[in-house]
Amino acid sequence: MEFFIRHKSIVVFVLFFLFCIISLSVHTSPLTLSLEGMGRAFITPFQKGYNGAQQNVRKLWAGFTELGDVRDQLRLTREKLQHYEAVAEEVSEIKKENDRLRKLLDMQKRVTNDSIAAIIISKDPDNWFRTIVVNRGSSDGVRINMPVIAYVGEEKAVAGKVVEVRGSVSVIEPIISTGMKLGVMLQESRFPGLLSGYAANSNFAIIDYINKSAAIKLGDVVVTSGQGGIFPQGMLVGKVIKSFVSESSPYQRAIVAPIVNYNQIEEVFIIKKEPDKELMEVMGKVEP
Amino acid sequence: MIFVYIFTALLLVISLIMQAHTSFDVLRIAGIKPDLLFITIVYCGYSFGSFYGEVTGFIGGLLHDAASHSPLGLLALPKFVVGYIVGFFGRSVFKGTMITVFILLFAASFVKGVLTLVLCYIFSEATASSVFTIIFPEAFYNALLAPPLFFLFDKIFEKELEREGY
Repeated sequence: MEFFIRHKSIVVFVLFFLFCIISLSVHTSPLTLSLEGMGRAFITPFQKGYNGAQQNVRKLWAGFTELGDVRDQLRLTREKLQHYEAVAEEVSEIKKENDRLRKLLDMQKRVTNDSIAAIIISKDPDNWFRTIVVNRGSSDGVRINMPVIAYVGEEKAVAGKVVEVRGSVSVIEPIISTGMKLGVMLQESRFPGLLSGYAANSNFAIIDYINKSAAIKLGDVVVTSGQGGIFPQGMLVGKVIKSFVSESSPYQRAIVAPIVNYNQIEEVFIIKKEPDKELMEVMGKVEP
Repeated sequence: MIFVYIFTALLLVISLIMQAHTSFDVLRIAGIKPDLLFITIVYCGYSFGSFYGEVTGFIGGLLHDAASHSPLGLLALPKFVVGYIVGFFGRSVFKGTMITVFILLFAASFVKGVLTLVLCYIFSEATASSVFTIIFPEAFYNALLAPPLFFLFDKIFEKELEREGY
């Protein structure tokens, strides 16, 4: 006993070391996950409190500084509203015509899913991972592998997917994460590829496995291909900023600037779309 | 000593919440943000010895793991190892000047980064290029922020440090 007290630093060091190594070796076990859950449960109230306080201060400040902007925006919005009211009738006609043509072509109607609005309460505190924590969890109907989108101006684009769900919070893996694998295609040429994060410290993504015959142009729009079973087809992802061909590879690659900026994102929408079960079973990603 | 425990716990939680908050992204330079939690851990080891450094590093690291998407232990292990090593030398070797604090934090962050890279390589995924894209920039950033933060911490723990003879 005296030995342990005298050498407590080394004894504790060894114990901590063993704990970490065992925990890392079995990091998907229920015990490790529940320990992690306890840690997150401890941190979450502080994060929510800090986020709430910061939001209130920002709102208060905005009340003083943004009054003039709000007035201008109100005028512009009224003008826009008048314009859209005129357009609405035209759209209604076009919609009817579109429905009729779809029926004629025997096309399957697009499934529209409900979505859950969520506020980002924290981002990954480390430089090695790029995840986002939002204030919606299993109690709100969020499930693992649900797609997440965000609005940038009037554009709706893919932000990421849900990778972890707890009672009142969820963890989202953004498309710039190196661990993300997203089936995409070039909107114009329809060539498919696999998108993932470019680097741990980068806000860009990279598309791999694009056929060499594809002519990629700067600014080409990238959309989801719908092949992964998680994201619906045709959702906006980003724009190509660079492409390169390697002599040794049968494919070419393209760097993509996502529409959703990871540093500026504050609110997201979780689409209540269950992933394709059959596809998930094949990939071994079925939620327990 | 109870005062030190309470303030260390507060500093750990505050630094973790601050660096996890969305507004902290404005501090990103070249995609990298500083690790305030780690600076706090190094300070604890540096001022109060290896045992205190490793315990602070372990608890802070576990909280960091819980707040991050990393497997439990991946961020805790490098932190408590560095907390222990820094505490082993402490103030007796690294006198409290701006230059030594800068060098101490740069070296400590580098060691932490390399250990994290090795663990990521074994238990998660990592590429060697992370040495240049993450480890070096983060070490430099931490080292840059350390002198003013150490000065602030010295003020908080002034009485305790006097009692320890510093």
